[in-house]
Amino acid sequence: MKYLLLFLFLGLTITAQNTETQNDSIEKLKEVEIKSAAKNKIETEMKMAVSVDEFLSSSDNISFIKRGAYAWEPLLNNMSSERSTITIDGMHIFGACTDKMDPVTSYVESNNLAAIDIKSGQEGSLHGATVAGSIDLKRRSTAFSLEKKWMGSYQSGFEFNNNQFFNLGNIAYSSNRFVADGSISYRKADDYFDGNNDEVKHSQYKKFNTSLGLAYKTSELSSVRFDAIFDMAKDVGYPALPMDLWLSRALITSASYKQLFEDGLVRVIDTKVYFNAIEHYMDDTTRPENLVHMDMPGWSTTYGLVSKANIRKNNYSSEIQLNAYDNVSIAEMRMYPQDRSERTMFAYSWPWVTTRYGGLSMNNNWDISEKSQLNLGGSLGVNYNYSKYVEFNWIFHPGAPQEKTRFLPSLHAGYNLDLENFNFSAGTGYGHRAPSVSEGYGYYIYNSFDRYDYIGDPNLKNEISYEGNASAGFNKERFSIQAKVNYFYIQNYIIGRILSMGSPMNYQSVGVKGYTSLDYATLFNASMNVSYDILEHLHWKGNLTYARGMDNNGGNLPFIRPLSYQSSLHFMHNNFGIQASVNGDLAQINYSPEYGEDQTDAYFIWNLSADYTFNINKIESVIQIGAENILNKYYSTYADWGNIPRMGRNIFASLKFSL
Amino acid sequence: MKIFNYCTIVLFFTIMSCTIDKTDYEAEIDSQVPEYYEFKEAFSVNSGIYKVSIEALNGTFYKGYNELHLKVINTQTNEEINSSKVTFLPILSNTDGSTTSCPHSYNFEYDATNKYYSGYSVFINESINADSWKIYLSFTASNQTYKADKVATVEKQNNMNLNMTAFTGKDNEQYFIALIAPQKPTVSENPLTAGIYKYNKPTTAAGTFPDPTQYSYSEVDNYTLKLDPRMPEPSMGNHSSPNNKDLTQEDDGLYHGVVNYTMTGNWTLNFIMLNQNGLIIKGTVVPTDFTPGVEGVKSELFIDTLF
Repeated sequence: MKYLLLFLFLGLTITAQNTETQNDSIEKLKEVEIKSAAKNKIETEMKMAVSVDEFLSSSDNISFIKRGAYAWEPLLNNMSSERSTITIDGMHIFGACTDKMDPVTSYVESNNLAAIDIKSGQEGSLHGATVAGSIDLKRRSTAFSLEKKWMGSYQSGFEFNNNQFFNLGNIAYSSNRFVADGSISYRKADDYFDGNNDEVKHSQYKKFNTSLGLAYKTSELSSVRFDAIFDMAKDVGYPALPMDLWLSRALITSASYKQLFEDGLVRVIDTKVYFNAIEHYMDDTTRPENLVHMDMPGWSTTYGLVSKANIRKNNYSSEIQLNAYDNVSIAEMRMYPQDRSERTMFAYSWPWVTTRYGGLSMNNNWDISEKSQLNLGGSLGVNYNYSKYVEFNWIFHPGAPQEKTRFLPSLHAGYNLDLENFNFSAGTGYGHRAPSVSEGYGYYIYNSFDRYDYIGDPNLKNEISYEGNASAGFNKERFSIQAKVNYFYIQNYIIGRILSMGSPMNYQSVGVKGYTSLDYATLFNASMNVSYDILEHLHWKGNLTYARGMDNNGGNLPFIRPLSYQSSLHFMHNNFGIQASVNGDLAQINYSPEYGEDQTDAYFIWNLSADYTFNINKIESVIQIGAENILNKYYSTYADWGNIPRMGRNIFASLKFSL
Repeated sequence: MKIFNYCTIVLFFTIMSCTIDKTDYEAEIDSQVPEYYEFKEAFSVNSGIYKVSIEALNGTFYKGYNELHLKVINTQTNEEINSSKVTFLPILSNTDGSTTSCPHSYNFEYDATNKYYSGYSVFINESINADSWKIYLSFTASNQTYKADKVATVEKQNNMNLNMTAFTGKDNEQYFIALIAPQKPTVSENPLTAGIYKYNKPTTAAGTFPDPTQYSYSEVDNYTLKLDPRMPEPSMGNHSSPNNKDLTQEDDGLYHGVVNYTMTGNWTLNFIMLNQNGLIIKGTVVPTDFTPGVEGVKSELFIDTLF
């Protein structure tokens, strides 16, 4: 069975509704495609023109580490991004920045995505080994249609706080045999202002993104498809870091072949080969206060194959996926001496590290009865690493192997039960993950949060996760409530620990930390969503999340979200809609000084927006005006790198035309 | 459609090359460090029917440690003599008329496998103007002793990884430390080899010049050279590296240890030299504080390197 946890109408305010779509037949499959193209708008209830980050942050189990206004690092289940697999249509992509300035989500734009599919824990192992789960960014793809037609949309808007101006355009052509999708976008923002009306310097950005998709029906039941995304960000400031971004570029390409079968066990086979190349160049010339001028370029190149088959028989369905990729990650640092005639100082922070992964994953589902389903899945992967300049790793870990092969098994099981107005689910999972390139082979990677230089360890053990999850919900007429919990017990939890040897290389740094394995760490996440339709046109939604992460000594893990809440009212009548929401975090009591955290105070902010839909000839148009942080509150959250303040009052206006 | 095609083409042209080229790491290290493997003739002198030829790396004597391969050839028969007793004495004449020598092997031993007499010389100065080196040789052939001397040129060692230092220890003896290997370090664990030598003060009055007893040097035995490598660049804030090993003497008479260089650039090897009884002969403990913007204090005994 196929779970598509599609995030529909997720608000700053709203419940994540996990729409479960079953594919009964080919017709259904097509329907799903059309559905995802038509229904899953990348927008939140508060705001129709959002960035990918803003959209993701509207999901319960995603939080963000923010180093500025751009390229937030998504944390799934309060775990950092190396613990989740982040893919674009199943394609693996790895950022080229050692300081995580470029999570995969920064290389797409909201107008080339149709939906974001988030799976928690081992359920996400379909795309490869994971601990936290998977985030799959689904590209927009228009379905074949009987008649030839053109579709398009254009969206423009302005945000007053940081003078952000954006233009997003989409165009699509569809016919019986041929489909083309194109998108183009440009965003430009100046520095933003915090709640004290102080400028947050180095928070500007410029981003250009374009994508193209071409599909051709080779027969009634088969098609080929070519996709490309080109993304370029320039002059991006990271106020929380000691350097900015001069240029990052990504080219993400794929070619796929899809074959449907009218009868038989196998219903669909979809095979894709892909290539993506990312380059990322940091820039510290805008920071004259820096003592040392450094060049820090990074490159990440990935080739891969993903092949998926859907199987169905009676009340049994299954998804089988083969993932294979080869990635080379390179990061250099060159420090310039104060006397520029002297020799520059050079080292690799990623010494040409190759990662190869091959794995077979499976997800099986039985409909035991009308009301209950059983879910069983697993994967087995082989992960291979090779460090070309292993002598860099030998400095801290003499004799470490240049090559390392790891086996990464994973298993998960779940049970769903629907009873009248109630629904329940319970599940469990077990899985391994290999250390990331930085954790395994990183070399003097400066972390400006705790101000340590980090060293990878090629001999780290696999991180092994044992998880349990459960949910319960009640739904009746105008009222619904849903509660979810999950618990992770992670053996060999990888985290940086102070090393007694070595001395800092980066001048801001205070010491050297090595990635080491804790015996174990535990993580608990809970969320509750409530919605109530007060009147026909007036809806209320509320949401509460809580998380707790501890190491084996009972100490706190860093970047664990304190109790947070969101509450919103939504009024809609005819062509007019108005939304108000409040959201906030309680004080972060369980912070971790050991990892550079200090206590973050509680905060809450108010947001308001209104929209109006009208038609000009046949063009559907929506205009929206709103404000975030209306009271211009000065705040910073637990996950703001270096406690940089968040944006103060931000008035936004946007306009959208669709044809 | 045309627009799409056009876009695709433009896209591919702009993309297929990296904006900034990746560093060629091998070339990066080569740029600073000449590395020589080949022994070529650096010096030759005739005496009677015999020719003495001395080979050194790159055919040049450099300031610092030089491994020397010496051959005695009968110029009439073109045969190499293998049972000669060879002595070698380099003398530096200063402008003020004083003379001195340098650590060297006075007696060259015959290496039957490689068919040459093997020895070394640690030249303590380059040949500049009036300061000139002269090599005094003696060898035996057909039961007869031959002598020869000739001016030799010692050039500047451009490879800082083969630097040397000369100093007077707390025991009032004159010491020399010369780096021998690696010629070409990398960002890695580098096995480090150095020679430690001492001037043997003459106990007798000088005889006829050149009297070898006045110019006697020897390898010191069972000393320890404690190592603390640091980057001298002020902005590196006294940066050091982990897992270094102090230098101790091995069977070849030389001192071996490990230096870890964490990045390319200028490095200072700070030493503390201990004698066989563990007493400090020279060198001071350097501060380990990380001091961004301030150059770290060097030991009073150090050698600079660069790669």
